[in-house]
Amino acid sequence: MTADSHALAPVEHTPIAGLAHDARGGISNPILGMLLFITSEVMFFAGLFAAYFSTRANFVDANGVKEWPPSQFAEILNPFSLILVATVILVLSSVTLQMAIWAIRKDDRRGFLRNMAVTFILGIVFLLLQAYDYSLLFEDGLTIGSGPFGTTYFTLTGFHGAHVFGGVIMLGVVLYRGMTGQFSSRHHDAVEAASLYWHFVDVVWILLFTILYFL
Amino acid sequence: MSTSPRKRPAPDVLIAGLVVVILVALVLAVFLTGWGKTLYPPDAVTQQARDVRGLYDIVFAIGVAIFLLVEGLIVWSVLRYRRRPTDTELPAQTHGNNLVEVIWTVIPTAIVLYMFVISWQTLNYVDAVSASPDIRIHAIAGQFQWQFEYLDRDGKKVASQLAPAYDAETGAGGMAVPVGRSVQVTLDSPDVIHAFYVPRFLFKRDVIPGQTNTFEFTVDAAEAGQVFRGQCAELCGTGHRSMLFSVIALSQSDYDTWLKALIEKSNATPAPLPSGTVLNVTAEGIKFDAASLEVPADAPFAIAFSNKDPAGVPHDVDIRDSSGTVVENQETINGGTSANYAYTPLPAGTYMFFCSIHANMTGTLTVK
Amino acid sequence: MATHALNPAAATYSRGRLYEWLTTTDHKKIGIMYVINSFLFFLIGGVLALVVRTELAAPGLQFLTDEHVYNQMFTMHATMMIFLFVIPMLAGLGNYIVPLQIGAPDMAFPRINALSLWMLPLGGILLVSSFFTGGTAAAGWTSYPPLSLDGPLKSPGSGQDLWIVSLVLIGTSSILGAINFLVTIFKMRAPGMTLFRMPIMVWTVLVTSVLVLMATPVITSALVMLFIDRNYGGTFFDPFGGGSAVLYQNIFWFYSHPAVYVMILPAMGVISEVLPVFSRKPLFGYKAFIFATAGIGALGFSVWAHHMFTTGSVFLPFFSLLTFLIAVPTGVKMFNWVFTLFRGQLTFSTPLIFAIGFLSMFLIGGINGAFSASVPVDFALHDTYWVVAHIHYVLFGGSVFGIFAGLYYWFPKMFGRMLDEGLGKVHFVLMFIGFNLTFFPMHMLGLQGMPRRIADYASDAGWNDWNMAATIGGFLIAASILPFIWNVFVSLRNGKIAGDDPWEGNTLEWATASPPPPYNFDHLPEIRSERPVFDARHAQTGH
Repeated sequence: MTADSHALAPVEHTPIAGLAHDARGGISNPILGMLLFITSEVMFFAGLFAAYFSTRANFVDANGVKEWPPSQFAEILNPFSLILVATVILVLSSVTLQMAIWAIRKDDRRGFLRNMAVTFILGIVFLLLQAYDYSLLFEDGLTIGSGPFGTTYFTLTGFHGAHVFGGVIMLGVVLYRGMTGQFSSRHHDAVEAASLYWHFVDVVWILLFTILYFL
Repeated sequence: MSTSPRKRPAPDVLIAGLVVVILVALVLAVFLTGWGKTLYPPDAVTQQARDVRGLYDIVFAIGVAIFLLVEGLIVWSVLRYRRRPTDTELPAQTHGNNLVEVIWTVIPTAIVLYMFVISWQTLNYVDAVSASPDIRIHAIAGQFQWQFEYLDRDGKKVASQLAPAYDAETGAGGMAVPVGRSVQVTLDSPDVIHAFYVPRFLFKRDVIPGQTNTFEFTVDAAEAGQVFRGQCAELCGTGHRSMLFSVIALSQSDYDTWLKALIEKSNATPAPLPSGTVLNVTAEGIKFDAASLEVPADAPFAIAFSNKDPAGVPHDVDIRDSSGTVVENQETINGGTSANYAYTPLPAGTYMFFCSIHANMTGTLTVK
Repeated sequence: MATHALNPAAATYSRGRLYEWLTTTDHKKIGIMYVINSFLFFLIGGVLALVVRTELAAPGLQFLTDEHVYNQMFTMHATMMIFLFVIPMLAGLGNYIVPLQIGAPDMAFPRINALSLWMLPLGGILLVSSFFTGGTAAAGWTSYPPLSLDGPLKSPGSGQDLWIVSLVLIGTSSILGAINFLVTIFKMRAPGMTLFRMPIMVWTVLVTSVLVLMATPVITSALVMLFIDRNYGGTFFDPFGGGSAVLYQNIFWFYSHPAVYVMILPAMGVISEVLPVFSRKPLFGYKAFIFATAGIGALGFSVWAHHMFTTGSVFLPFFSLLTFLIAVPTGVKMFNWVFTLFRGQLTFSTPLIFAIGFLSMFLIGGINGAFSASVPVDFALHDTYWVVAHIHYVLFGGSVFGIFAGLYYWFPKMFGRMLDEGLGKVHFVLMFIGFNLTFFPMHMLGLQGMPRRIADYASDAGWNDWNMAATIGGFLIAASILPFIWNVFVSLRNGKIAGDDPWEGNTLEWATASPPPPYNFDHLPEIRSERPVFDARHAQTGH
């Protein structure tokens, strides 16, 4: 979207210095915009992480035991399970997305589309795995209302999931526009911007996975 | 600074200077006469408060000096440098002056560092909490009433009392403290955030659920017999304004008598239930367990009332007639306790029973 | 507007003026709509303030018999004034002025700009709708949990939820706006417009945007956690479920303290445009001013806990020191402004009068802020009417006077006609007297121990006279708005034609037509300093 508005800027009746300056090089508007947006997202997750660590530091269970995660949930949060598969898939999707970027930079549209499609599908698979994982947790009695652990766990992973969902939509739009031939090595700001966002979402997940399952 | 491009007429300077001098004199006159007193906190009554007051006076003096300097400069400039019809040429285009700018960065820095240091010193005294204070009081602030528990040296509760606003006639209802003794107050809340605030202590401390705050003060010996107003200072809901209490400063001997009476009252067994209709009512989760009650007309009746909310959440069962007049007014009891309320006979009709603390706790009382 | 000639393509799909305004991506139209939207909420918020003041005029509950309604009134007053008036009003002025001042044709992302705008009335309508759906939020604009959690005597009902959703929307609008400003300022400057030739207004918007970008997402996280606690059984802020009540305050003030600078820095920017123009001198210490602005922005992130001195759970000396230090860059600015007036040639047009009002009132707001930085003094003053006085001397005496200075200054640019000077001066005098009559007595009330947010007070507490004075002052402020509104309506039709540069301005917005055509400029003067239009004017006259 951001790339679009830039592309449609009415160059024909703007004999103005502003756009000329913009064209002088350096980072492009959509990519700078996306980087700034990611900065704000980092601060959003920083707020959630701060709440997580504060909750965790204060946590005492009903018997006065200071243990995190609470013993009744320790079992079901095994990192070497479905969640590891999901993690690998998300990391892989970042790799394939980067391959797509390299392809479009070399004007390799077939390679670009192939890798984009794989990334898009990997993103969807991650979401499905997370949904399935949630259903397993619900069966075991861990919900957002089951105490500080449940609240922080589902809030953090839920907001990450929502960001993955947003990222998948972004990838879908990029894929569609790629299929209609809108990108080339000279014009693919939208692809670069979407990939920045996707990598960011990936990094957040690696942080989450480490903190929730290993720390 | 560069020189002015042109000599200004002298009256301009005179008028501007005169106005500035008059304004400064006016402001100073306000501070030196009775009027200025309203810009200071009320007279301090604790040792800690006197320290805060000393600090306030210094900060205030610095503040007034800066105010007069800058406001004087503004007024001077406004009066002195009006553009006149003869001003066709531009004034000197001064872009800045490094020396001046360094000066007005360094001097304010020094001033604020000075204010920080004296604040820190005062803070260390005001905020200090000793291991063995003379008196320990546990204050519980619940919606919308204060409760003060008197503790012995080991921290065990010996007496407690709910605090409506101080009642001068009965002498009840406040937090009594002996003068000249260090009093340590611990603060807890069973519901939302409140704040313990006594203006003449020049002090307040938040009462935060899930966190026990502690502070200490010593009331000046000269204040024996005085009563100081206190009030919740943190928005706590619909009864915020009515969360009042008093601090009653007593001499040591008066305090001992007062506390003894309170201990006796606390230990007294509840009055036995009168004969006649007895209803059971329980309050839990800021709700009555009954929405409607029924009693016979023109006969005494009683309610065995049990408050199952946590300590610090007081309730009672009062009765209001259809016109809204309160016809029965019982004493509130603390969470975790129970009481037997006796009521006088009521004529037939529909009434409302309610908790005098919590506006949402109401029900219908049918008398027939 | 009458600028079709410059934009032949537009004429072919002209759809009527209303459709054009509703769908526009022109930063100037968007900026004007920001201003109008904000002004409407200023009026609503002002009425709420009058309700509060009417109740407090005398002891006893006379006007609002239900204390809960009273709590709703001051909660909504502060929420609207902060989030729907001051912040978007300054964003609107920035939206109009920043691209013009840096010689750009528009904002970097015009359509996102329109999105930011239209999220505001949406958020505002959600907030106002809570009046009709069982009561608004009533836990104060700070909405501290546990009071703002669900439950009897806390905040049951949808009002608090609507408040949360509305603030998340407005916050998102701010974040998108900040991204737009930053990209515009970094990427769209005209040739020659280096960073240290940018007008101060642009600099303040730049620093403000960084604050918004870094701080607003943090309050969004607090708000969603509050929402989860209220609606899905979460325990973030529930002290009896394993959460922490103070956690919310930390996260909230991490945003809301920088938010104070979001509300004051652009107003400082306006003043820094107005003072040089009307004293015919450059701003004294341009670079120092920029560093002071950046310094305030940086320090702004490390002082949040000075709102929490009485909680007993923050490290007091650290936050006290940094709060004191923030007075230094603020003081530097104050001296810069005063020395801009010094030895100038002052023309007392309405914008300058409001700017001087800003200087003298913001000074008081700055000085009484130092009282609260001193922790022991803050123990006495916190949560009393002293704090109410302080915030209004900063946000009304500062921001609002700055906003009106900006509106009087740029109205001719926006609409091509001058506002009436006489009415403007009546507006100022009434507002200045009313403002001081309302808010100065609050210092005394606070010192004497009147807590904020109480619906009533004892008649023997000694607070009656000051409260009555404050109420009279409040109505005087309300009265002062009437000549302004009248002025706008009359001047839009019959005001004196302004011409390109009615004030002999310094910055690029005065180098184009009033109102400017779409995409702003036909040609730009050469930019060799922070005053390109001044340079061009005096190059012609051989100065």
